[in-house]
Amino acid sequence: MSNRQDSGGRSGLDRRRFLTTAALGGATIVGASALGGLDADAAFAAPGPSLDPAITASTFAEGRITARNGSVLEVAGSYGDRHLIQLTNATSVWKLRTTTADAIEVGDGLYARGVDMPDGTIAADALWVNIVNLFCTVRGIAKDRLHLAHGDGNHAVVGRIVPETTTASYLGGSLTPDLSRLRIGQSAQVLGAWRPADDSVDIARVTVGH
Amino acid sequence: MACGSTSLWAGETTWFCCGSSWGPCGSAGTGACGTCQSSANQAAWPNTTQACFDITRPDLCGEGIPRRGCGSVMNVRHQCSGAQVCVTISDCGPRTQSFCGEATCCNGVCRTNRVIDLTPAAFSAIGSLSSGRLPVYIYE
Repeated sequence: MSNRQDSGGRSGLDRRRFLTTAALGGATIVGASALGGLDADAAFAAPGPSLDPAITASTFAEGRITARNGSVLEVAGSYGDRHLIQLTNATSVWKLRTTTADAIEVGDGLYARGVDMPDGTIAADALWVNIVNLFCTVRGIAKDRLHLAHGDGNHAVVGRIVPETTTASYLGGSLTPDLSRLRIGQSAQVLGAWRPADDSVDIARVTVGH
Repeated sequence: MACGSTSLWAGETTWFCCGSSWGPCGSAGTGACGTCQSSANQAAWPNTTQACFDITRPDLCGEGIPRRGCGSVMNVRHQCSGAQVCVTISDCGPRTQSFCGEATCCNGVCRTNRVIDLTPAAFSAIGSLSSGRLPVYIYE
């Protein structure tokens, strides 16, 4: 029962002024840090703001990018819906690592978080391009890749080890570039970026348990 | 059913994809409840049924997580930021037993063990998908 709930404090910061600015100011939008868009370890380190009580939820969109017109991404949702994602100078972009909008390509998949704008676009606070977070079993280990199976159907996925990027966490320990403790048959959580060209995944982080 | 404020549990949350989607997620299916969609504020709970519990086995990590079935509603709140999202249970998971003892911390306070899995829409409402895990409180 060690995880029974404790009381927790709420941040004194307020998102309202940021989101209001976004709604009224066109392409100006709150930076990712205010909505929690920073990368994990940095985001854990400092409390972020509470949700703005006037805006019950940020807008979310997912799908494949079909076109890019300047700072607007056209996205085909997975259920036949369509989104127009407005990039701003404060949009955080993740594609295997924190990067810039230049890394976004037509054909990529994405998850986007932002704010609905009056013109029908979504002004993006954060974009996660091609991101996957798969519960897998390690089926094979090679120098430059892991062979993985995920899902109830044990679908095969090749996880590419990216030099100077791929890290591992063993039993919840701190991240390390040392992958030598991976074992065939282990359960693993693989956070990475899908490659549309060959359906493989570039591994950002592999977390293994027992 | 509205999201409540009665304490239920606390621990780590991770995220998963389901429903129609792109890439490796395209084969994920709609989950144990048949309704799961990545773009909706939904979650997976490790004790939706006995069959689910037999797979996730949170008890092996010392978690006596109560049963809550498909359609149950929970409020998930980030331990540090206070950001929260109301979710509907739509799948079985996470596989708690595979990562016993794993802890996620912020401000020096840690939550241990994976006790709920959120869809990308729900997870991104309270944190960054690139973090992979968050420490949360859960209400119903």
